[in-house]
Amino acid sequence: MNVMGSSVARRLRRGSSTAALSLVLAAAAGAETHALIVAGLGGEADYETAFTTQAEAAADHARAAGSAVALLTGQAATRAGIAAAIADIAATANAEDVVIVHLIGHGSWDEEHYRFNVPGPDPTAGDMARWLDSVAAERQLAIVATSAGGAALAPLRRDGRALVAATRDGREKNAVVFGGIWTEALADPRADADKNGRISAAEAFRFAEEGVAEYYASRQRIATEHPLLDGDGTGFAVALAVAAGEAPAVTEVADADPEVAYLVRRVDELTGAIDALKARKRGLAEDDYFTRLQVLLMELAGVERQLREQRDESPMASPSRP
Amino acid sequence: MSRLARIASAGAGALLALSAVADPEECRRLEPTDPAGADACFRELLFDPAAANRAEAAWALGDVAAANRAFRVAVREADDDAAIRVRWGDLFLAIDQAADAEGLYREALARDAGFAAAKLGLARLALGRFDTRAETLANDVLKADPTNAHARLLLARMALEVGDLERARQELVVPLTATELPVRLDAMALAAAMDHIAGTAPSAWEDRALELHPRYGALHETIAHFYIITRRYREAIAQLERAVALDPKLWSAHATLGANLLRVNRFAEARRSLARAHDGHPYNAEVVNTLRLLDSLETWDVLDEEGLVLRTDPAETEALAPYVQRLVADGVRVIGERYGYVSSEPVVVELYPHHEDFAVRTSGLPGIGILGATFGNVVVMDSPAARSVDDGFDWASALWHEVAHVVTLGATRNRVSRWFSEGISVMEEWQTGPSRYQAAPDVDAEHAGRRAVPVSVIDAYRDGRLLPVASLDEGFIRPRYEGQVGVSYTQAGLVCEYIGFAHGQQALARMLVAYGRGEDTADVIRTALGVDPAALDEAFAAYLEDRFDGIDPAAFAVAVAQARGSATAGNWVAAADAARRAIGSHPGSVAQPSAYPILAQAEEQLGRREAAIAALLAYWRAGGRTTEPLAQLAAWLEEDGRRGEALAVRRDLALVAPLDGDHRVRLADLLMATGNTRQALAEYQVHLSLGPRDVAHAHYRLAQAYHGLGDIDIARRHVLQALEIAPRYRAALDLLLEISQ
Repeated sequence: MNVMGSSVARRLRRGSSTAALSLVLAAAAGAETHALIVAGLGGEADYETAFTTQAEAAADHARAAGSAVALLTGQAATRAGIAAAIADIAATANAEDVVIVHLIGHGSWDEEHYRFNVPGPDPTAGDMARWLDSVAAERQLAIVATSAGGAALAPLRRDGRALVAATRDGREKNAVVFGGIWTEALADPRADADKNGRISAAEAFRFAEEGVAEYYASRQRIATEHPLLDGDGTGFAVALAVAAGEAPAVTEVADADPEVAYLVRRVDELTGAIDALKARKRGLAEDDYFTRLQVLLMELAGVERQLREQRDESPMASPSRP
Repeated sequence: MSRLARIASAGAGALLALSAVADPEECRRLEPTDPAGADACFRELLFDPAAANRAEAAWALGDVAAANRAFRVAVREADDDAAIRVRWGDLFLAIDQAADAEGLYREALARDAGFAAAKLGLARLALGRFDTRAETLANDVLKADPTNAHARLLLARMALEVGDLERARQELVVPLTATELPVRLDAMALAAAMDHIAGTAPSAWEDRALELHPRYGALHETIAHFYIITRRYREAIAQLERAVALDPKLWSAHATLGANLLRVNRFAEARRSLARAHDGHPYNAEVVNTLRLLDSLETWDVLDEEGLVLRTDPAETEALAPYVQRLVADGVRVIGERYGYVSSEPVVVELYPHHEDFAVRTSGLPGIGILGATFGNVVVMDSPAARSVDDGFDWASALWHEVAHVVTLGATRNRVSRWFSEGISVMEEWQTGPSRYQAAPDVDAEHAGRRAVPVSVIDAYRDGRLLPVASLDEGFIRPRYEGQVGVSYTQAGLVCEYIGFAHGQQALARMLVAYGRGEDTADVIRTALGVDPAALDEAFAAYLEDRFDGIDPAAFAVAVAQARGSATAGNWVAAADAARRAIGSHPGSVAQPSAYPILAQAEEQLGRREAAIAALLAYWRAGGRTTEPLAQLAAWLEEDGRRGEALAVRRDLALVAPLDGDHRVRLADLLMATGNTRQALAEYQVHLSLGPRDVAHAHYRLAQAYHGLGDIDIARRHVLQALEIAPRYRAALDLLLEISQ
């Protein structure tokens, strides 16, 4: 079991790394992200290796994105182990925190219950829902990257909890490729569609969903899995996506520097104005639309540049990436 | 109607002995001279107490569904009657339901094991599939009854299909004197076709047949068949037009006419013929599929410029059109110059992203290539979306192959033999095509252009399974062993390579001229090469002996297996050693599994990057085009600063996998880095057209390229489009500021 304690994560956030300073996507100041990543029972050596590799990679990306990570693999990935890990999170997470649970492996559905296959008794989706309900964090994400994963959606659904499943329902029972492709998404900068330097669960999902479709199309096979995203996955950072030597865009201010705070607010205002303009696009002549867009973007470019300069001048600045 | 159906129709009426009263044969006898009387006779027969007769009547009147129902009743009434089952099978054969037909013929044989009509039904099925079992079955019938005219007809047709006129003539002796008129007419049609094949048309047999049956449209339909299988589509169309003029209800001829009008790019007329065929005979799946295909083609892009008419799926046009334009222009020029032929017509290319559509366009042709087909100046192919280069489909090389057909068919007015046209195409792939063999800088010129051939061909040569050159066409039309079509392609290429080597390139051009005069292969060899076919075979064998000298297929297979096993186990020293042995056993072999990529992987693992690069360069130069090794090679070359070679590899990679946006964008990035901004721009445009996952980045790259070319307004628009998607895209924001300064 590999757990990075939340106190360590808090220290990292408040420490000297600018990357750490800006890691938690759209989270309120002071919020933490707690991630539990579990590799289930493979049954065959190839699956065991693949699931463990995927889980370790997902854990690395989550850590890089600033999460406190608990990783369960092999014989540690039992029903009791999962329950205990979630209980640990429940003991430390507050309402503003974010919780991500990521299940990788085989799942099953007996027409009534979804079960995640682990050594010993399998936890059901109902178990997972009950355990997660005990966590105070209001914003939660469950990624069920298993066969029959779609059957877990209904038991897990709750306000504030986004859900990702490798299959649309419990009838898709073949081993899935979604988990591996999701892991590829975490390492692929192309998945960062909005280019803010972070890959959100929504972005990773879109990338993986396309990847699954391509996988089956390129092999001229009928797709036996259809991934689903239930809820809003945009607020959950699952990986960083920045070029070497760069830091992700600043989206949050932990320090009370009024100038930086103003710039960050201005960024929010400008991106909001851009969203509003995009919503009106159909009603505008093309040239007019792009002229207006350019005005907003020019200002945004200037503000972003000032923000970067502020960060580079900050005594906390660090050229390193997490 | 398919070939199967035509055969069944041709044989209709010949096997009847179903009823002593109101015999369908009596009605049928009226058809040549009194069609209205024949119709009236059949209408009366619709009320015959015998269900089998009602079935025959309904069939003759064109009501296939009623015929089918009546046959079902008939077999219930006479379960032991093999003849009724055969006729029911013939009905299914006529409407292209081969599986049902086969089942009924077998049921008939279960009731009467020696029943000749059932065996001949199965033989017709096999004949329609260009399956050599047709000959076995016909001979089986002749063993019991040497005078069986139907069996002789089948054998005559088979002989004609492989161009054996003498044997066909012998087989037709009995049927031409048969008492049954339909048999005599069929025989006359084949005799007329024989004259057309021999170049002595019009044939006196045509007049004689039409004297007996003035509306015997099947006469011209039969002649057309032999033009079609020898790829003389325009002549076939003329015959089919005569067929439907004589017999407007000959739906099979309408269908075949439509299919062949498509083959010469006459789409509007083709649609009319196919619609007519469908109206008269709605059960023909080929016609339905082709009409559906034509509907879908209406949404396709048609590019018509500079000697090329290109039809593509709109989603692929931008990615493929520039390559097709270049390959066709280069192919027509390079190959045309080698054979002294200048095409006067544009080349038409259709690229099908779905293999089923390609199959619809080529159905009913013997030994058709699974990669592409050429009808005169019309090239029909799978697009690279249908199959990838990693599945063995090098579409660019295949297009080059087809362009070579355009040259050889055009130069001979479609009279070139199948093997020679294929041989030239294969050889041109090896020697001048986009994936041609390229000698390494340290290899002497004498061995350049000798691409490694598949092990199956070497085995076939050593086992004595290669055909004499004069009968090599049979290896394409009626293969006798698994894989013989593929072996025949390569053998044909090797024969042409040998002729070019021993007699000079001009000898190949002289052969084309001789084919254009209408000579058969044996005469072509004598007149163009000055040797007898047997002498050519002997000299060719000696050439192969030398060419295959030292190649050890068994040792190659063992070494490749060991190399793969060692690589899987991580034993890289053993893997490298085995891969080198494999390469030594069969140098230049790039067919999968190839030893070169394994050797490269092993060398890299052993820390010998230079040797790894050398292994993959050898693979690439020998014509290897699998994407993973080439992508690895390009990356290593870039890391090594060998940008010129990297660019050449990346260009090939983009060419063979043109719909893979990753390869296109990596090529574009390298082009940008090496100052080829305009070419990079073209690649970035293709990348965007392919629907990349990262659209913002695609627009950003386009903006960079336009900016590099000084086209600020378009650069600005693309950077705005990038930022519209990703407003905080830092590099794009910086570029916007830079552009706007």
